[in-house]
Amino acid sequence: MVNSLYSKLLTPIIIVLILGALVLLGTYPDISTILGGIALFLMGMEYMEDGFKAFSGGILEKVLERFTNNTPKAITTGFFATAIVQSSSLISIIVISFLSAGLITLTSAVGVIFGSNIGTTATAWLVSVFGLHIKISLYAMPMLVLGIVIPLFLKSKSWKGIAAILIGLGVIFLGIGYMKEGFETLKEGLDLAKYAMEGYAGIFVYVLVGSVATVIIQSSSATMAIIITALATGQIDYANALALAIGANVGTTVTAVLGALKSNENGKRLAVAHFIFNMITAFIAILFIYQLTEVVDYLSIIVGIGIDNYAMKLSLFHTIFNLIGVLAVSPFIGKLVTFLNTLFIPKAEKEEGKAKYLDNTALEFPMTSILAVIKETKHLYDNAFEIITHGLNLKRSNLLSSIPLEEVIQDEYSKSAVDIDAFYNHKIKGIYGEIIDFSTKAQSEMSPKEIELLYKLKLANRDIVEAVKDTKHLQKNMIKYLKSTNEHIKTQYNRIRIDLAELLRNINTVSATEAEDEILLLLSKAKVHTEKYDILANGTLDNLIREGLITNEMATSLMNDSAYAYDISKNLIAMAEIIFANRNSNFENLNEEMSMNAEDIKIILEKKDD
Amino acid sequence: MGIKKFIKKVKSTLGLNNYEIEGKKKSLKDLIKKLNRRKKRIKKSLENANKKEKKDLNEELEIITCHIKKGKNILHKLYSK
Repeated sequence: MVNSLYSKLLTPIIIVLILGALVLLGTYPDISTILGGIALFLMGMEYMEDGFKAFSGGILEKVLERFTNNTPKAITTGFFATAIVQSSSLISIIVISFLSAGLITLTSAVGVIFGSNIGTTATAWLVSVFGLHIKISLYAMPMLVLGIVIPLFLKSKSWKGIAAILIGLGVIFLGIGYMKEGFETLKEGLDLAKYAMEGYAGIFVYVLVGSVATVIIQSSSATMAIIITALATGQIDYANALALAIGANVGTTVTAVLGALKSNENGKRLAVAHFIFNMITAFIAILFIYQLTEVVDYLSIIVGIGIDNYAMKLSLFHTIFNLIGVLAVSPFIGKLVTFLNTLFIPKAEKEEGKAKYLDNTALEFPMTSILAVIKETKHLYDNAFEIITHGLNLKRSNLLSSIPLEEVIQDEYSKSAVDIDAFYNHKIKGIYGEIIDFSTKAQSEMSPKEIELLYKLKLANRDIVEAVKDTKHLQKNMIKYLKSTNEHIKTQYNRIRIDLAELLRNINTVSATEAEDEILLLLSKAKVHTEKYDILANGTLDNLIREGLITNEMATSLMNDSAYAYDISKNLIAMAEIIFANRNSNFENLNEEMSMNAEDIKIILEKKDD
Repeated sequence: MGIKKFIKKVKSTLGLNNYEIEGKKKSLKDLIKKLNRRKKRIKKSLENANKKEKKDLNEELEIITCHIKKGKNILHKLYSK
C-alpha cells in the first residue's frame, strides 16, 4: 500500500530533513541534531527493507504464502514477519503482490495486515529497550563496518542483503542516538513539556499532532522513535505521548491510503481495510485511554517495567491497543472482506482477454513473479483449452465428464467452423503478450536459476500458443472431412479427435491432482499415445493409400493434419510437464530426470508390437 | 581460517550442504513407493479385466515399471554421491 508513493516520497523527505538540519545547524544545533537523527532513522529503515528483500531470497514470500491459510495463522505470520523485518510497508507490498497473483485470499491478506500492525510495534520496543538505556550508537559502528566489509568478500545476493540489514540497523541506531542527544540538549534551552495539555482536549490535539507528523515523515515507526526519545528525555508528558502514539497509528493510514491511490484494486482494498482497522483501533484507544493506562501500569508491574520507565510503558501501550484493535476487529473479518469485495471492481469487459494474475507489485519479488507467471500460464491454458476443444468440434462439458470419448465426438459443438483467429485475438494474444512482457521485466531481479525457470515457463506459453495455431490449421479439413461420405477418411479424422480429446482430458486430470505418480503416469501415457497414434509412423496412412481407400487429396490433407495433431500433442505435453508436474519443490529437480525420453517410449512401443 | 572456509565449515556442521540432496532422496523414495503401490493395484486389476482393459493396463504397467527403474537408478546415483 505504502510502497510506490512511500518510496517516491522518502528521498525528498530525507533531503528536506538534511537541508533543515544544515540550515538550523548554527542557530538551533539541538533541533538540527534531531532532524539529522530522523533522516538517519528513515534511511536505515529503507536499507533494512532492501536488505531483507535481497537476503530472504524468496523465504519471506514462501512463509507468507504458506502460513496464511486461516485468519489466526495470517495474523500471527503478519506479526512475526513485520517484527522481524521491521517494515510493515515491505509486508504490505508482498501481500498485495500475492493477492494480485492469486496466491492468497483477501481474508488472509487482511489478517496479515492486522498482524503486521501489532508487529510494527516492535520498533517502539527496540527503541525503548535498547535505544535509551544503552549508548546504542556505540553498536552502530561495528554494524556499519561489517555491512561495508561483507560485500567486499562475499558477493552473493544473500550476503549483500545481510550487509544492507547491518548497515540499516547501524544507521537506525545512529539515528536514535542523535535524536536522543538532540532532545536532551533541546531540554536545556526549550522545554516542550510546558505545552502539555490535560484531559480529552489534550488527547485530541496530540492525536492530531501525531497523525500530522506521521503523514509528513511517512513513517509511523519514525514518529514512534521521536515520541519515545522525546518522552525519555522528559520533553513531552506521558499522557500526551500516549495520544501521540494513537496519532501515529491514524497517520499511517493516511500514508497507506495515499500510497494506494496508484495501486491496483487489491492494494486499494487492503488500504481501506487498514484504514478501517486503524480508525476503529484509534477510536477504542481514545475512548478507553484512561482504563488502558491503568492496564499498562498493572502489566508493567507484572513484567517488571519500572513505574517511571515511561518509554517502555508507552511501547506496552502501543502494543496493547493494537492488540485490542485486532481482537475487536478480527471476528468481523468475514464481513469486512465481503464489504471490501464490493469495492474497486474492475470492468468485466475489459478484463476478459487480459492477464489476471500479473501485477507490477510482484516484480520486486522473484518467487512471487514466477508463481504469478505460472498462474497466468494456467489461465492462458484454460482459454486455449476452450479454443482447442471447440476447434475439434467438441463440447467442453462432455470432455470434462467421464462420458466415453467415442460418444464425446458424436456430440458436436457446432455445425460450422469456429473462428479460431477471433478467439486467438480475443483470448490468447493479449495474455500471451502480457506474460512475455512481465517475464522480461521480472528477469532483472532474478538469479540465474530463477531466470532458467522463467525461461521454461515462457516455453510453456509458446507451446500453448503453437497448439492453438495448429488447431486452426487442423480445423479446416476436419470440418470438411467429417461431413465426407468416405467412411475411411471420416474415421481417421475422428481418430485424431479422440486422441486429442483423450490428451486434453488427461491434462485436465493432471492439473487437478496432487498425486505425483498419477501425473507421471498420465503424461507418459500421453507421450506413448502420441507416437503410437501417429499415422505417418504407424503405417495407417500407407495402407489407406495403397488400398485406394482415400483419394490423393485426402491423403495429403490427412498427412498434413496428422502432423498438426502430432505437434499439438507434443506442445501440450511439454507445457503440462512444465506447468503441472512441478508441484513439489524437491520433485521439481527430478521431473526432467524422471520423465520419459524418446528411447523409453521406443522400448515400450516395441514391446507392445511384440 | 578464510571467510569462505569458515562458511563452508558452518554449512557442513549444520548439514546444509546435503539439504537439497536429502530432500530429493526423500521425494524420490516416496514416489517409488507410490509407483510400486500403483503397480500392485494394476496387477490385481489385470486378473478380472477384459481384453481391451488388459491392453490398457499392460501399457500402464510397462510405463510404471519404466519409471520405477528410472527412479531407482537416480536414487542409486544420489546415494553414491
